[in-house]
Amino acid sequence: MSTTNVGDSLGVVLTINGKRHMLEVEPRRSLSDVIREDVGLTGTHLGCEHGVCGACTVLVDGQPARSCLMLAVQADETEITTIEGLADGDELHPIQQAMHESHGFQCGFCTPGFLMSTVALLSENPQPNRSEIRAELSGNLCRCTGYQSIVDGVETAVSLLNEAQGNQP
Amino acid sequence: MSNTTQQSGLGFVGQSVKRVEDQRLLTGKGCYVADIEPEGVLHAVFVRSPLAHARVTSIDVDAARRAPGVAAVFTGADIVEATNPFPPFLMLPNLYTPLHWALSDKKVRMVGDPVALVLATSRYLAEDAAELVEVDYEPLDAVASISDALAADSEPLWEKADGNVVYDQTDTYGDVDAVFAAADRVITERFSCQRQANQPMETRGSVIEVDPDTGHLTVHNATQSSHMLRWIIAALADKQSTPSSLKSFVANKERRNAFVSAAKDFVSTNADSLQEQDNAGMISQVKADKSTLVHLQRIALGLLGRDNYPTVKAQDIGGGFGAKGSIAREDVALAAAAIKLGRSVKWIEDRVENLTDGGHAREETLEVAVAVDNDGTLRGMKVDLIVDQGAYPGFPVGAPFATRIMKVMFPGSYKFDAYGLRTRVVSTNKGKYVAYRGPWANETWARERMLDVVARALRMSPTDLRLKNMIGEADMPTKMITGPTLDETMSTKKTLERAIELVDLDAFATAKEEAAKAGRRLGIGFACYHEAAPGPPDYLTSVNPGTDALSAETARTTVQADGSVVVYTGQMPHGQSHETTYAQVVADELGVGIEDVELVWGNTDRTPFSVLGTGGSRGGPMGGGSVKYSSRKVRDLINHQAAEMLEASPSDIEIIDGNIHVAGVPARGLSFGEVAAAAAAGAAPTDAAFEATVDYGGHGDGGWSTATHVCFVDVDLSTGIVTIPRYLVVEDCGPVINPAIVDGQVRGGVAQGIGAVLYESSIYDSDANLQATTYMDYLIPTAAEIPDIEVHHIETLSPGENDFRGVGEGGMIGAPAAITNAVEDALSDLGARVTDQYLPPSRILELAGII
Repeated sequence: MSTTNVGDSLGVVLTINGKRHMLEVEPRRSLSDVIREDVGLTGTHLGCEHGVCGACTVLVDGQPARSCLMLAVQADETEITTIEGLADGDELHPIQQAMHESHGFQCGFCTPGFLMSTVALLSENPQPNRSEIRAELSGNLCRCTGYQSIVDGVETAVSLLNEAQGNQP
Repeated sequence: MSNTTQQSGLGFVGQSVKRVEDQRLLTGKGCYVADIEPEGVLHAVFVRSPLAHARVTSIDVDAARRAPGVAAVFTGADIVEATNPFPPFLMLPNLYTPLHWALSDKKVRMVGDPVALVLATSRYLAEDAAELVEVDYEPLDAVASISDALAADSEPLWEKADGNVVYDQTDTYGDVDAVFAAADRVITERFSCQRQANQPMETRGSVIEVDPDTGHLTVHNATQSSHMLRWIIAALADKQSTPSSLKSFVANKERRNAFVSAAKDFVSTNADSLQEQDNAGMISQVKADKSTLVHLQRIALGLLGRDNYPTVKAQDIGGGFGAKGSIAREDVALAAAAIKLGRSVKWIEDRVENLTDGGHAREETLEVAVAVDNDGTLRGMKVDLIVDQGAYPGFPVGAPFATRIMKVMFPGSYKFDAYGLRTRVVSTNKGKYVAYRGPWANETWARERMLDVVARALRMSPTDLRLKNMIGEADMPTKMITGPTLDETMSTKKTLERAIELVDLDAFATAKEEAAKAGRRLGIGFACYHEAAPGPPDYLTSVNPGTDALSAETARTTVQADGSVVVYTGQMPHGQSHETTYAQVVADELGVGIEDVELVWGNTDRTPFSVLGTGGSRGGPMGGGSVKYSSRKVRDLINHQAAEMLEASPSDIEIIDGNIHVAGVPARGLSFGEVAAAAAAGAAPTDAAFEATVDYGGHGDGGWSTATHVCFVDVDLSTGIVTIPRYLVVEDCGPVINPAIVDGQVRGGVAQGIGAVLYESSIYDSDANLQATTYMDYLIPTAAEIPDIEVHHIETLSPGENDFRGVGEGGMIGAPAAITNAVEDALSDLGARVTDQYLPPSRILELAGII
């Protein structure tokens, strides 16, 4: 059995927003640090680094994860989606469009985490009611808005997504 | 992302224009300080004291210096040697402001006090090395509370202070004793507010880049006040001896002339304000600490003896709520280290540090006595206020200045014949006090709570007592007993009357009885206030003579040679959506679209000077006013140029959707590019075609913002949990620039007020160890706790021309009083008296007599 020292790097393959990255990382480095520093995607934010605020939420194989609490090596061979992977070129994702229309956010720091949590919420429950939205998003902290505009934004996103589906043949 | 929703022709001001900021912030393309990573940057970690109060007997950094990746370790002694101390900013009579350095040297005064700075090639390696720093401490008795600080044998934090009371001031208005003697009764209550923390979702942080050739510093920082930070780093981070500074100043004629002209400019702009200043504050300070003069002289000459001031570049900022208006000691230490090493350094605060040393507020006790007649007529009020400012004074605005605002605002919107306030500020071994969204807000909490206490004693309804004593339009113009003029913008009474219409008190009384039968307790609470946003011209003079200059804002509007509109502001947006609201104001003035306006902020090389940056609800009235008037001047220049080109009179020029034409003849219009090109012909390509700068002091415009908050609570006595089935705000900030943004400000403030009452406490134990150092202990309310909040607007016009009024702070000013009043109402038949602001479930159960 081989041992690994703290300072030794391990090879990790992360597919982030559809692009494959082969990286050498120290085992102790968090997924969030590797996404931000090694891959250069700084849209994922760090608010508390102890798993409460949710700002660092990304999707790992479709499931929301606190990237500050996960080691990069644990994410080896996974598909990761970050905030940068939501829009299609210049075209906003319906959740982004809905948040824009609802004046969802203010300072923008918690925003990436909320958007990724919302993607996860709506993929599990495409028609949440207001109290379900509030409960599901209670793992993300926002200090600016009092949350009402964010909840409004999720409701708007639900209608935009429904419209989009209704329009499809 | 076009703004297609607004109706054209009506103007953008007043419409919920969609945010310009969203394109980058919703797509992960914002640029916050942590996102900046210069090549070869060193990462910083501060070694912090584990003890609240101790002498540092030795510090050994050798092992840390030898650790992998470490470039340097600076101790407190190194930083004291290399830098100037933080001086007093606003000196007040009877105040002592302790001088202190960026790192602590011989003594630590709080858990988290920084004693060393480790710089390494990665944050991980810097954290490793910080573990190797050995510090020996000799513990001292901790001063953990206001009562500890007042005790005769309390261990003084500051040798030069008179014990731990650093400020003791009494102010009286009217004949307080006579009014109290003549009133039918005097009712007294003692209120206590717990320590809270601002807690923006982005912590503090700084990236200091060093130009290897010139040594010039570029400071990327999450700051609400970019120009203040620039000046403080220039003043403190690179100590020079007085003779060498003097020599350098005298030798450089250009610099001397620049200084003399800038000084003349400042004196002429702020002549009234400067005339009001006296030396009483300086005398108090120097009496306590003679070295103040030596340091001030060295700092002043140091500033004059250099011309390479740093550039501060602040971009996107993840909230502040006042905390990032404070200059961090850490930033000065980092700049000193960057200068010494000639290398770029980066520090991103972690959340534990931020909860410990990122700024605390509101820890105050307030004993309030009200003299009142049996018919409910308020006669007089006496207040004994004690503020716990923690270990280090907040810079520039800390507890003492906040108490001066409390002094003026305590009587609120009510008539009193006499009023007196004793203010004490004490030092304790806890985190530093900073301005937190409505830093004076506990005057509203204590007064509005007290009015309910008085109403109960007189068996009156809380709303009747308020209406009976509130100053209304019939009384105007008048003055608060503390000095400031009240005109029709002090519309608190209108907001209360509207709130009463909206809530249906009779229906609530019935619901309350019904609920009680089912074992549930419902309550309702009101709170009313007015706030200076910006206030009348005599407001800041009443707070503290000579502070008027703090409020002014400058803007520069330009039309570039290519016709594009670029506006420069000294404001420092950090969530308030200035790019959108200022674009609305500018677009209306110039007749262009929202997307045609570019706002430049944050970069001190490009933006006009502002003392405070963003804070104090000044973004709308002062910043907005400066942008409006500078754009209006530019509009006038465009009209003249276009009139010449179209052979018309300037007064006939109309601009619609960027088409500059003679009114009624849009087909023969000119574009901004054409008019700008004509104006700029012959000028250098970098010069603006049109430009105007306006320094706006707001005198005579604007006025007060007002509101009434109403909170409904449902108290569960099996768990002590308080829920809020309905919360409404009736607010009046005059004509609203962008309703959606204003509603967001109000709701965000109320949410922080709900947090303050039900969830948040920066609690220390009796040895002054902070007990809430993570988000598992310091509870920020979530979407599951904050209800939908109704916001109703009244738009009272002011007599002044620029009618934008501030709204950033109000939500948090009103909420704690409305909520605590509602809780007491819910528990009234149990005899509960709510005197604490903090009401977690355990306290609710105690109040109800259950535990």
